[in-house]
Amino acid sequence: MGRIVLLFFILLGGPVQGAVPEDPFGSPMWEYNLNRYLGEGREVVLDERVVLTVPPFAEDSAQVPLTLDLSGFPGEVDEIVTWIDLNPIPHLFTLTPGATPTRLISLNFRVQQATTVRAAVRDRHGVWHIGSAYVDAAGGGCTAPSLTAANPDWESNFGTIRGGAFSQVPGVRYKFSVMHPMDSGMVGDVPAFHIESVRLAVPGADEPLLSMTLSQSAAENPMFVFELERQPAGAMLWLRDNNGNVFERRLGGGA
Amino acid sequence: MIVRGLSLLWLLGWSLIGVADELRYALEATPVATNTWVVEGSTGNFSRDNGGNIVNVAFIATGDGVVVIDTGPSRLYGEALRALIEATTDEPIRHVLLTHHHPDHVFGNQAFDPDTLYMLDSGRQALAREGEAFSDNMYRLVGDWMRGTEVVVPANTLAPGPLVVGDHRFWLMEFSGHTGSDLVVFDENTGVLFASDMVFYNRALTTPQSPGLMVWAKELMALSELPYTLVVPGHGPVVSDDSAFRQMNDYLSWLYQTLSKSASRGLTLAEVMNLPIPDRFQGMAGTRYELIRTTTHLYPRYEKAALELLPER
Repeated sequence: MGRIVLLFFILLGGPVQGAVPEDPFGSPMWEYNLNRYLGEGREVVLDERVVLTVPPFAEDSAQVPLTLDLSGFPGEVDEIVTWIDLNPIPHLFTLTPGATPTRLISLNFRVQQATTVRAAVRDRHGVWHIGSAYVDAAGGGCTAPSLTAANPDWESNFGTIRGGAFSQVPGVRYKFSVMHPMDSGMVGDVPAFHIESVRLAVPGADEPLLSMTLSQSAAENPMFVFELERQPAGAMLWLRDNNGNVFERRLGGGA
Repeated sequence: MIVRGLSLLWLLGWSLIGVADELRYALEATPVATNTWVVEGSTGNFSRDNGGNIVNVAFIATGDGVVVIDTGPSRLYGEALRALIEATTDEPIRHVLLTHHHPDHVFGNQAFDPDTLYMLDSGRQALAREGEAFSDNMYRLVGDWMRGTEVVVPANTLAPGPLVVGDHRFWLMEFSGHTGSDLVVFDENTGVLFASDMVFYNRALTTPQSPGLMVWAKELMALSELPYTLVVPGHGPVVSDDSAFRQMNDYLSWLYQTLSKSASRGLTLAEVMNLPIPDRFQGMAGTRYELIRTTTHLYPRYEKAALELLPER
């Protein structure tokens, strides 16, 4: 009986295991989320040059820092997708770089329980390169009320954006923080209210420097960091939330 | 021979199971001055192995009752501490001073008569506000050791200034660097400074409720000027010279400079958490772990200070 069951699993699992490498972290959501976010039957490889850094444990489950460093990744990047395997809505962001390579991305996410975190990078040939990390956590970050919700004056700070441009050799690192509750929609009687789209662009240019879509796993009052390989002149930041609020700011640096 | 080895293993196995069934803190009272004892904990983190016994508590037999300073992380610890005090001195326990609202210092207070519990008013408020969340976290971190532990907010309020009990005159001071409400007790008779968590020694300091590194450093300066003979830190060994103050000062300055410089270079949180820690701090336990925590608590303030309001056009 046991042998028949085993045979059944080999037959069933054989072709899938051939296409997808084994998860070094053994997460139950590995294949499911690969299929969900990258599509079925895609070519997937594990790649240490996709350097995803999260702390070994979440000191604050509502603010867990993530840094994705692609400075060692060779060749062009067409798309980047990140997700938190065991979050209720795993997707964190999808980012499409422009002509100037995006070398580094950082923002904080929420974590609902201890989980693996993934970054998938699609190269020119359509192959997805995966970097993974693991964060231990007390959890509850996705279903905890935002601090903003507890502050009756939140509207006076809403949409305040502070930023800076830090020179790199070569290139530039843009950093900006946005006062926004980023409500996940998972707290009783608080509807989802969060930034969905982020775009950096030079006005008049054909395509943006980068565009990003964000999901509910992104943390409250987000601090975004983007490092570009070359510094553009007069870059603008454009953000939109799911209630239609649009924010536009001049990013500074390289004017 | 082999049979004996096996039976020894068998016995060892059973004794380990026995330990798991009945959790016990092995507390020892070390005399550090006349009628003054310290119960020293490890410099580790909360774990199921140590039951949260990572803290120093102390007691003084004044001639007119015992003054206890802090009560450990759980009800079980508090009961063990009370038994230890009763075995060490015949005097009744009259004052239990709780230095701040962190779980490793207050959660053993249930084992003592509620009328004897004292705390600064700001500390009582902080405990009432955050105690339950701390308690949840402690159950998660140390498990069964916490059984029966509940948050008790002390009935009596302490005011900074002199406290005379028996032959002893204590000087009570209110600071804020560690948690926003930090009691330090100076025994004028013996010169023992019960610094609690204003001073960590050979153990990285913790910052979850700290108002700021420089606030702490400034208060530390004032503390270090007291005419002490002995410093009892909240965590780490008792020390008679100024080594603990020098280490604290060095480490606080390094943290401050690291966070400020990182913010001015635009580093991300994850990058700061992984910065190299200087070799001179190697003798301190928990530096990487606490750098990760401190970065989470404090770096966002430094980051924001390094940014400017962005113009719309």
